[in-house]
Amino acid sequence: MIQIKNVSKWYGDFQVLRDVNEEVKQGQTVVVCGPSGSGKSTLLRCINGLEPFQHGEIIVDGVSVSDPATNLYRLRTEIGMVFQRFELYPHMTALQNITLAPMKVRKKSRREAADHAMKLLERVGIPEKAHEHPANLSGGQQQRVAIARSLAMEPKIMMFDEPTSALDPEMIKEVLDVMVDLSTGGMTMIVVTHEMGFAREVAEEIIFMDEGSIIERGTDISFFQNPKSPRTKDFLDKILM
Amino acid sequence: MLSYDFDWSVLWKHPYGRWMLEGIWTTITLSSLAFLIAVTLGLMVGVFRVLPNRITRLIGGSYVELIRNTPYLVQLFFWYFGLPSLLPQASEKWIYDHVPSLPYWTGVVCLGVYTASRVGEQIRAGMISIPTDQYQAAFSTGLTTYQTYRYVIIPYAIRIIIPPFTTEFLTCFKNSALTMTIGVLETTGASYLIDSYTWHGLETTTAASVVYIVITLCVVLLMAWVERRIHIPGMIARGR
Repeated sequence: MIQIKNVSKWYGDFQVLRDVNEEVKQGQTVVVCGPSGSGKSTLLRCINGLEPFQHGEIIVDGVSVSDPATNLYRLRTEIGMVFQRFELYPHMTALQNITLAPMKVRKKSRREAADHAMKLLERVGIPEKAHEHPANLSGGQQQRVAIARSLAMEPKIMMFDEPTSALDPEMIKEVLDVMVDLSTGGMTMIVVTHEMGFAREVAEEIIFMDEGSIIERGTDISFFQNPKSPRTKDFLDKILM
Repeated sequence: MLSYDFDWSVLWKHPYGRWMLEGIWTTITLSSLAFLIAVTLGLMVGVFRVLPNRITRLIGGSYVELIRNTPYLVQLFFWYFGLPSLLPQASEKWIYDHVPSLPYWTGVVCLGVYTASRVGEQIRAGMISIPTDQYQAAFSTGLTTYQTYRYVIIPYAIRIIIPPFTTEFLTCFKNSALTMTIGVLETTGASYLIDSYTWHGLETTTAASVVYIVITLCVVLLMAWVERRIHIPGMIARGR
């Protein structure tokens, strides 16, 4: 579903990604972890073309992201993205947040978009908040609306960029529950997170990034039990405590 | 010892009263039309300046720096007295003789174009205060650049910049006074004209000042109403 081949990226002289290789198969959930500044978020933004990269290739569902002929707007409709700080549109209600792209991009009617949005709000557990503005919702509720907004485009892939890092501890679970549900439902997912419980439960692969490179990868348990590099061990010790 | 004889009746005596009323009406319509141009053009200029496109940024930037950095009075003279002299003499004369209300429309356009450079900067400031991730969230759902600005960024930015926007609207009203220099008989022009007939400049300029204060207070009330109308529920409101 996603092939990342020898991708490198620089901001001026500073190299943020170093020869990154990764493959995500359909239905897989891959968890990306690593310290801040290690290039995790940048990698996600390269996958949906929000950030350009100078070297290598990324193929999403058979389409090359860096090919100038690729219609990035169209490609992005296939890849949902959830952000650390939710990034709901503050001047719109939850429902309007979810229906905007289906109406403007997919040209769905208001009613059709709203019906689908209500189903998604039920799926993330907050149909009663449909007509609330984001500022009236808790962080966990906002993040669930943001997930519903991404799902509204019926993407083939979902990317999460530290979706629970800005949340109070008691709200983390409600968001993770939705994500676990998505993962077990067969969604292809790339999740940047330090929630190792989530990784243990659903990840087919966990990769550890540091200074722009993937320095360790493993399937589930092995990753936690015997990290190969001291850098990974150090990091895991800190976040697992 | 006060030797000045007050005669407030110059403000309503025939024909001065009518001049004054026409002046007030001219001030209101001229500034409102100019502000309409300013908002439309300012939106374009502001967006041009933040788009990830070198050419639009150059156009927007040049516009702002050129218009904002020359006195508005000079621009008025340039459009009204300067530019037509480039034309052949016959057509220059024809324009001054035959275009109805030429000073008025020159004033509208010039004030609009000038205010747009300031409004554009406010809009730009509002847009760059919105976090990058908000843009990316919109793009990630497949919205195009146009749609992202049209439905997400501009509506959000406008709510942020309502207070400085109000100030621009007020400045636009007050700047309309300068159009008297190209012969528009708006409030200031009318008060000056009545003074030259009656020698009662104190009364006429006092009246003009009161007119401006009343108009601007109305604008402040209007904008406060607009701000309440488009206020985002749940967000912290400006103190009242």
